[in-house]
Amino acid sequence: MSSNQYTLASPPTDAISALKFSPDPNSTRLVVSSWDKNVYLYDLRDENGAVGEGKLLQTFEHRAPVLDVCFGENENEIYTAGLDWDVRKIDLNTAEQTVLSSHEAGVRSVVYSREHNLVISGSWDSTLHVHRPDAGANTQSVPATIPLPSKPFSLSLTATKLVVAMASRALHIYDLKGLALLTAQADGDTVEGNRVELEPWQRRESSLKFMTRCVACMPDDAGYASSSIEGRVAVEWFDPSPESQARKYAFKCHRQTAEDGVDVVYPVNALAFHPVFGTFASGGGDGVVALWDGISKRRIRQYQKYPSSVAALGFSGNGKYLAIAISPGFEDGKEDISDGVVRIMVKELGETEAKAKGAK
Amino acid sequence: MGKKRRGPTLDELLARPWCYYCERDFDDLKILTLHQKAKHFKCERCHRKLNTAGGLSVHMSQVHKEQLTEIENALPNRSGLDVEIFGMEGVPEDVLQAHNQRVATQYHQSEAERQAVTGNPPAGSGGSGPAHKKPKLEDLSDIKARLAAHRAKRAEGATGGSSREMTPIGTGQSTSTPTNSNAQPAASISPAPQQQPPVAQTYPQPYGAPPIPAASPYSLASPVYPALSPAAVSPYAPPSAGTPVAYAAAPPGAVPYPPPGYPSHVYPAQPTTIPPGSPSGSYPLPTVPTPDPNNQVRPGSLPALSGLPQRPSFAAPALNMQQMQQMHMGHPAPSSTSPEHANGDATQAPSHVASSVDELISSAAKEAAASEKPTKKEKSKNIRMVYSDENISPEEKMAKLPRYAFSRKAFQQETALGEVPGSIVVGTIRDQDTVVDPAQ
Repeated sequence: MSSNQYTLASPPTDAISALKFSPDPNSTRLVVSSWDKNVYLYDLRDENGAVGEGKLLQTFEHRAPVLDVCFGENENEIYTAGLDWDVRKIDLNTAEQTVLSSHEAGVRSVVYSREHNLVISGSWDSTLHVHRPDAGANTQSVPATIPLPSKPFSLSLTATKLVVAMASRALHIYDLKGLALLTAQADGDTVEGNRVELEPWQRRESSLKFMTRCVACMPDDAGYASSSIEGRVAVEWFDPSPESQARKYAFKCHRQTAEDGVDVVYPVNALAFHPVFGTFASGGGDGVVALWDGISKRRIRQYQKYPSSVAALGFSGNGKYLAIAISPGFEDGKEDISDGVVRIMVKELGETEAKAKGAK
Repeated sequence: MGKKRRGPTLDELLARPWCYYCERDFDDLKILTLHQKAKHFKCERCHRKLNTAGGLSVHMSQVHKEQLTEIENALPNRSGLDVEIFGMEGVPEDVLQAHNQRVATQYHQSEAERQAVTGNPPAGSGGSGPAHKKPKLEDLSDIKARLAAHRAKRAEGATGGSSREMTPIGTGQSTSTPTNSNAQPAASISPAPQQQPPVAQTYPQPYGAPPIPAASPYSLASPVYPALSPAAVSPYAPPSAGTPVAYAAAPPGAVPYPPPGYPSHVYPAQPTTIPPGSPSGSYPLPTVPTPDPNNQVRPGSLPALSGLPQRPSFAAPALNMQQMQQMHMGHPAPSSTSPEHANGDATQAPSHVASSVDELISSAAKEAAASEKPTKKEKSKNIRMVYSDENISPEEKMAKLPRYAFSRKAFQQETALGEVPGSIVVGTIRDQDTVVDPAQ
């Protein structure tokens, strides 16, 4: 109600695959990757530093649709992953693109760990590539390849852990420290075929019965939330103790009852944790964005329905903005995308809008 | 009119004030307005509660310099600012109609469900009421008549007949009866001392009487049955066959055999001052069964006509019957209030009364089951997933669309990326080329 909401000018021309704010609390930059082969860089501030409507700073063209993007060490560095099998690093100032590695299939996701200075990409060739961007500067660094049992669909990391959600409802949790150590070692060992068999810290089966759509880690490193194509979100904790595992739960959301009484169930495409309050937002194929308090298991609020599917969500580094990427046809690959349906909405959140209200 | 009032009527439901924004209904208008102020007209910034959406809008723009775009906590299609709502005022006519419709259908649906479950007639429907009541009245007299006939028949048939009537096991029972009757005295003579501890425990307890010599319950019990059987054959015949089995075969098995019921039948009818030593002779056993036929009818419907003290004496055999059956046949006796139902069903073609009752019960049960099953099915059926492919993610599907098709080879030639391993790529490229070419 109270949040100001506006639409970013010059949105992508095709479906949006990912949207990320710079994790830097002072930055208002966000990058958006799209199926139109471009990565878009926006800034909510104008030249004078005043937060206005937000404007497009730059676009970076790729050879193929871009499936994921993330910020690197600072707000001038991004990593992209796409259907051209490449993982790239882009310097936003010089627009210079560097290929970090090539997978053997489309690269679905890429994440950057600031704490360990690692770039991790997950591809449909069922591998993870772990890159050390600092090493890449001096040698022809080959990333470590970690085989996975299934195709990874979503990656998310905390300061210490990496969560990989895969097909067949598999889920691996890796310890980033071990990952960093191992890749550093492996890097020195071999030059080619740098394949590393790394036992994950935890192997889990998804708590949801259907394909995992998205996974997002809590900012406090305690656990993660995952969503499925069947309108459900699960919240789980890393701690393997039975007490912590007993706390995990799942709930239904993003469903609508049609006139004939049929429950239409939408996939939950996007999850994003608020960096300050630890609450999270979910975006579904129904075009609804809802804010949840994962601790007290309550919905904080649900926003008005958007005209088409929510493809991606992101909170800004300081938690004051919520960007919502809306694009149709994400689920069923609808043929034509008409103008104006692909949109990026930015919500300016009120002081307590995304804050947990506490259990009543 | 001791009729229990259940649930509000439709009119009452329709009259309840409800909130336009979230469709919640309230007990009265005051609470509704309080709800609206707290939930929908509260300013996010300063938590001030305004009376209307317009008021909030003005407040937001004047105090916080913000534009109110939607109502908080509202249903997706109700969060607009275009309607001015206060309490129940301002609700558009069509929305009001839709709400009433929804409440009405909901009411009827729950009513129908409840009817299906309980088998009750719809509340206040005069037409079907008497129709149901009449057969119930007939029940009583018919049951009595049928019981009398049945009893006579039983008496004629004696024990053999009764056991034949009961179940297919009857044959086994009839053969076992003699042996049991043999076993009983035997038990009282020699094994009794050995079995004394368990038996003595089960027996004297219910009596509540001073400790009785272990032999006495047996000698008591055996005369009881023969004495009872001529008069009140039907309920007791099976027990007479059953008791010894339970006792001789497995002493612990005696536990399900209700000690409280069994002895209470014999004893409460008696003056409690019976000397424990004097066993069978002093019992005016023939007098005990005589009230039984009357009693048999009583539990079925008539609540308290005769003296209270005798009621337990009769309730006991009914219990016995069921548990006996359970013990002997492996399945519980039909849990109808009077044993006659079970017997009637088994022995003769059920009279129309019994059948009508049974039909009522079974049809209600069926309806309940029927109404439950579809809802369960509906729950699983009525979900339509927008995206239901379990193995291929939406992105992968999209990536397969011709317009996103990407050929690495084509780009390789342009950008000359050297380090790509040839063999794997060539294989896939051919595939992709064939895909790409028709598209071009």
